[in-house]
Amino acid sequence: MEAVGLTRRGFVTAGGALLVSFCLPGKVSATADAGRLASWLEVREDNTVLVRTGRTETGTGMSGYYTQVIAEELNMRPEAVSLLMGDTDRTPDGGYSAGFVYGMNNVRKVAAYAYQALLELAAARLGVIKAELLVVDGVVHGGGQSVTYGQLVQGQQLDLRIPVTGRPARADPNGWLGMTSLDGFNVGGDPPLKPMSEFKIIGTSFPVPGIPDKVTGKTRWSCDVRLPGMLHARMVRPVTLGSTLLRVGKVDRTLFPTANVVRKGNLLAVVAEDEWEAISAAQSVAADTRWTDWSGLPGSENLTGALREHEWGPPSGTKGDAAAVSLTKHSRTITASYEQSYVRHAPIGPFLAVADVRSDGSVTVWTHSAQSQGLRARLAHMLGKPAEKVVVRWLEHSGQYGRTTFGGDGAEADAVILSQLTGKPVRVQWTLQEDLAWSTASPGWICDTSAALDAKGNITALHYAFRSPHMTEVRALGALLAGLPGHTAKPGGFLAMEWAYDRVSNRLEEAFGMPNLGAEAASGGLRGHIMRTPGQRQQNFALESLLNEAAAATRTDPIEFRIRHTSEQRLIDVLKAAAKAAGWVTRASPHRNARKSGADTVVGQGVCVIKRQNAYWTGIAHVAVVPATGVVKVTHFTIAVDCGKVINPRQLDRCMKSGVVMGLSEALKEEVTFDTRKVTSTDWSRYRILTMEEMPEIAVVQLSRDDCGFGGGSEAANAVCPGAVAAAFFDATGVAARRLPLTPGYVAALLKS
Amino acid sequence: MASELELSVNGALHRVVVAPETPLLFVLRNALKLTGPRLGCGMAQCGACAVLIDGEEIRTCVTPTSYAVGKHVTTLEGLPALWGKPGELHPVQQAWIDEQVPQCGYCQSGMMIAAVRLLSRIPDPTVAQIKDAFTNTPPSPHLCRCGTYAAIIDAVKRAANTMRA
Repeated sequence: MEAVGLTRRGFVTAGGALLVSFCLPGKVSATADAGRLASWLEVREDNTVLVRTGRTETGTGMSGYYTQVIAEELNMRPEAVSLLMGDTDRTPDGGYSAGFVYGMNNVRKVAAYAYQALLELAAARLGVIKAELLVVDGVVHGGGQSVTYGQLVQGQQLDLRIPVTGRPARADPNGWLGMTSLDGFNVGGDPPLKPMSEFKIIGTSFPVPGIPDKVTGKTRWSCDVRLPGMLHARMVRPVTLGSTLLRVGKVDRTLFPTANVVRKGNLLAVVAEDEWEAISAAQSVAADTRWTDWSGLPGSENLTGALREHEWGPPSGTKGDAAAVSLTKHSRTITASYEQSYVRHAPIGPFLAVADVRSDGSVTVWTHSAQSQGLRARLAHMLGKPAEKVVVRWLEHSGQYGRTTFGGDGAEADAVILSQLTGKPVRVQWTLQEDLAWSTASPGWICDTSAALDAKGNITALHYAFRSPHMTEVRALGALLAGLPGHTAKPGGFLAMEWAYDRVSNRLEEAFGMPNLGAEAASGGLRGHIMRTPGQRQQNFALESLLNEAAAATRTDPIEFRIRHTSEQRLIDVLKAAAKAAGWVTRASPHRNARKSGADTVVGQGVCVIKRQNAYWTGIAHVAVVPATGVVKVTHFTIAVDCGKVINPRQLDRCMKSGVVMGLSEALKEEVTFDTRKVTSTDWSRYRILTMEEMPEIAVVQLSRDDCGFGGGSEAANAVCPGAVAAAFFDATGVAARRLPLTPGYVAALLKS
Repeated sequence: MASELELSVNGALHRVVVAPETPLLFVLRNALKLTGPRLGCGMAQCGACAVLIDGEEIRTCVTPTSYAVGKHVTTLEGLPALWGKPGELHPVQQAWIDEQVPQCGYCQSGMMIAAVRLLSRIPDPTVAQIKDAFTNTPPSPHLCRCGTYAAIIDAVKRAANTMRA
């Protein structure tokens, strides 16, 4: 058992003595007062705890990690902690659901404040001083007696104020992404936190709470919401990205007795009481509907050429020293340009939402958005209503991978507009074709890089210029097509690198942005959005590829080359651990048997690192290439991370392996294709993602440490894959692959050139 | 035109009035409230909607409800009864929990159906056989965008051990 309070004196000396009283539960709206502890945390008579967070589970195990962190601070069993996530009327903070670290601080501090309050109550109840209390599994012991948290609170609430900063999400034309804030509230102050050395729950593989219900079919997903009188809707989308509506198709009442066409501007849908009737009628109406033609895209085959021809203007993001550029002009330099086509989040479950707009002006929306509060503010703005009139209820659904982080994209606007027009609750289910054509995507890009090398082969200066259509589309498609207000984001680019190579003495990073491709289209064109490890994923591919080319030019082992350019010991440690686990052979690339032709397989090894959110990652790929066919097969992949204290080793293992699957998918297969009128990669045979058979053996290395806090342990796993695969391809063939993805067609042509 | 059809689902008989060509998925989800199978692609390309019909894996998003008449349909919810040991989940479900397979979980109902089907044919599959079954069984690979394939392989191996014990 642990003696409480001995290591927590800083809290009291900082003036943190708590005045704890009670109030009745449920009297104050959670969103109204984030400064009330009871808005966040409720102790129940059965000695369980409910914590409310506006953040949500996105498939990375967040609900498990939060539970562990809360239970740790409260000295409770994690099984006694439950979470209420994402509902705007019942949770206080909101904010991005991406990123564990920031959201975790809130629930950790909330739990720590509650713990101190409970100790105060227990001290008074048991007649002993706080320092003499011991807490085990939610039971406070002292003076030969014991009392549970539930008994201390007895169905009432801790009436305690906690310091909170931050602003709720509201429309703001001057704010970034058109909002006051998308960060949610930030719990402040300095409550005593349990030292890592005393952790008992963090660091164990606690099972994620929602999994049993998902496995048995009990989970109520957002797609399972059914309301009395609810209509099913299917959208009828324009035939091109820029089409406007000429003539609305008719519904054949003999075939579709309950179906109706609903229209607002270019937003067209069919609603019906029966889902299959809505689907069939929508197909029939679509065939009978006429749109204007439009042609404003360069075509995906011409994408990067078009980006190179674009007149980019000044950079919207700059870091570093312009001297880096002049240095690269006066010494031995390596230059290379890298590029990638559009890729997209592409969840298995297309967008879906249910909305109930009532005649009294209230709006309720059921969603799987990862940004409930932001979504609420955007919907309110679209409707011209105060945010208080809109309630967003969150439920689990298909993963989002960043596409709803800003609260813009999704089916919610469609559902709200249709419910308002029909006067009934409406469930809008996008089709896969619709989703792969109309949801936001991670834009294609080009990146020009150069590195100056000294006589010893070390990089003295480095420059990169990243150019891409913007990744901050926050307008909902439904609002755009209906001609309703949406928020405007500045079409700039941003720099996302966290720099790991401190021994590169001069560097200049520049990002250039532009509007969506086809931005003048009624739908907004190819709408760009951030996606998992946003910006940094792309920029890091270019930089790490440049480093591999520089290492090869100086006949240096790529891992040794990296270690020479950093003094960050965590990076060096994780590189070495990965190399050991992967069976890395220390030598320069390319392999002495590298070949760029022939039907026989050549093999190679390649490495890529990334530093992100207090975590250091290394990926090592082993590939087999058949030059004649251009087929690249990843045979083994090793991924290593130091993300500070590991919270849940098994979930981290799962997230690392699954992140590798997504990253290899991007490296080898993924490409949004489009002609001059519309997106053409609109099913799984044309937007191809990695299958189970294509997954290599994956080795995982975790370096947990108690001296560097917590880091991001899931997101960036995808981002080390493309760079490692491209490096291994170079090792095998002696040819640098500077474009993603490494499809057989691209590779075969590259090797013949 | 709507007709009355009799369906045997998870061991129970149901009468539904639907157009016979209605994809079985919508009848299961909307009429019978069996929400384990989910809509993914709507064109038999992903596997999220899979169920067993007379022991074979069927993609319900493209299968007319009339096809199921006179046959036995098993959804995710019916797997414990298929295993038939009171109070126990199907070993595939238990393995999915023990191995912590789901991330978002959207595709996993179909994944478990595919696992049950595989283990009925090959009680002790190799990793290569598991990969082959989840990738090359018509009509399409079972797709997971979260990337849980490695966890699925671990869980199938675990379930195989349980079922052979």
